[in-house]
Amino acid sequence: MTVREFLALTQRELLKWIRAPIGIVSSLMLPFFYLLLFGQALNLGKLVPASEAGAVYLGAPDYFSYFSVGMVGFIMLFTGLFAGANVIFARRFGTLKKETAAPIPREIIFTSRVSAGVIRGVIFGTVVFAIAIAFAHVPGLNGLTLTGTSGVLGAAEILVAMACVTALFSSIFIALGFLTEQIESYFALVNLVNLPVLFSSNALFPTSLFPAWLKGIAAWNPVSLGVDVMRENAFGSQAYYPYSPAEYLGILLALTIVFVAGMAVVTRWSLRPR
Amino acid sequence: MTDTIEAGGLTKVFGESVTAVDDVSFRVREGEVFGFLGPNGAGKTTTVNMLTTGLRPTRGRATVDGVDVLARPAEVRRRIGVIFQESTADDDLTGRENLKLAAALYGVPVGETAGRVQQLLDLLQLGDAAERRVKTYSGGMRRRLEIAASLVHTPAVLFLDEPTLGLDPQARAGIAEVIRSLRKDGGHSFFLTTHYLDEADSLCDRIAIIDHGKIRAIGTPSELKEKVGGDVVTVVPTRDDVDSSATFAAVPGVLGVARTNGSYRLKALRGESIVPGAVQAALAAGVGLATVSVKRPSLDEVFLEFTGRAYREEEGPSATDWAVRVQRFRGGGR
Repeated sequence: MTVREFLALTQRELLKWIRAPIGIVSSLMLPFFYLLLFGQALNLGKLVPASEAGAVYLGAPDYFSYFSVGMVGFIMLFTGLFAGANVIFARRFGTLKKETAAPIPREIIFTSRVSAGVIRGVIFGTVVFAIAIAFAHVPGLNGLTLTGTSGVLGAAEILVAMACVTALFSSIFIALGFLTEQIESYFALVNLVNLPVLFSSNALFPTSLFPAWLKGIAAWNPVSLGVDVMRENAFGSQAYYPYSPAEYLGILLALTIVFVAGMAVVTRWSLRPR
Repeated sequence: MTDTIEAGGLTKVFGESVTAVDDVSFRVREGEVFGFLGPNGAGKTTTVNMLTTGLRPTRGRATVDGVDVLARPAEVRRRIGVIFQESTADDDLTGRENLKLAAALYGVPVGETAGRVQQLLDLLQLGDAAERRVKTYSGGMRRRLEIAASLVHTPAVLFLDEPTLGLDPQARAGIAEVIRSLRKDGGHSFFLTTHYLDEADSLCDRIAIIDHGKIRAIGTPSELKEKVGGDVVTVVPTRDDVDSSATFAAVPGVLGVARTNGSYRLKALRGESIVPGAVQAALAAGVGLATVSVKRPSLDEVFLEFTGRAYREEEGPSATDWAVRVQRFRGGGR
């Protein structure tokens, strides 16, 4: 019975999402312009000697290929950061009351929103992959060249990594949505968090160029862990990484479970009768 | 007849000092429409929230359909339908999708959902709008959808918190008709809060008058009116600088006099019979009269009787207050 309620609420979230196409397009515009402008303009490849390119890009054939997989991590992060805004609107428009008055476990109110966030994130991530690959076929543009050979297993690991990164950040920010009633406070926190998390990850730049202290942080950043799984599989570059994709995925999965479970407890606490 | 709601000493204190509901006890009988009548801020919604498990009582206890609200809140939620003051339907979903979602959340068997949803859409006359998104619905249609959603699992008790708040008179009448028809069909008990006197009078089998968190009186509308003790003759003098209570109390047939806001309320078994005497007594005492009116007891009078204040005073600033406010605003806040 619980599964049905979970699916019904997840479906509701997704219906609301697909019925706001402007929101979908604008969410994709950011990574699109990063790929079209930032990725094309920042020709890091010319600054790195060809002999060192493999070591710097960790086996990716060129900087754009390296960077565009990072952009998939970027869209996962952003999908997660904004996943909690709906909670604040649901409270403001009264729809959350319907859920809290229903005889359902409070955790379902939380996990259904995380699962809708994950589905949105995985769809966005796949679209960003597709745009980056398509760029390779447009004259004058750098594009993503896949050199990996891990096939279906590799693709599955990539999808799970996408799901984990989105679930982890969605859970934190959905719980925040339950804790705060002000949309202004919510977005202030999103703005505070997004760039530090992005810049302390390996999404945009190779961590070999980072100072030692930042390198340590970047290694444990969940965005980096997800991007590592995706890059190793996309470029077949296991030789450049200390851990295999499955090992990175294991760490990421464990972190995700801890965060989702912890945030479910926080949400339950925030919904307790006062 | 058994009780579907039983509340004993229910109290809610917010913070350390704001007592929203103060030692409230009542019983709602099976199948009846029980109304909580009171002005804004009287404690009506707080009581609903405690009975529907959204708020924890500070003290006291309550059972709904025989289930303790504190011990088994999820079981209580399974047995009740709640219509909140604000709309809880999802604007981006259609009417039918909203009802299907409610059916899933309340555990209506999958095989029965489509039929039950259609039945409710027909009952609440929303069939033609079922495939439209709720954002296109009028206020009255939204309230009907809320009622449909709350009935989807055939609850034992239906809580309606100010179900007609903000609706135009036609939509209000429509909602009242729906409640009457549900009452007639049987199967549910109703706990209704309202600050509309006429609504409480026409819809409720029994009414509790609540003011400042306390129940002042409970009874059927006619029992409460009887307690007022006859007709009320309201005498408004042209000047209010002298207390003429004794003058009016001496009029034959007058059972009691109360002076409120520059007018006198004279109680009498037959109001018309004391009017000539009251007018003569006033003129003899040199008191000019602006108006004299006779009223049969209404809930308005009942509220005044049990709370000591006219009901309208609680509705918001009076016309004079507004005039003063507007004047201050125009004068730059002086």
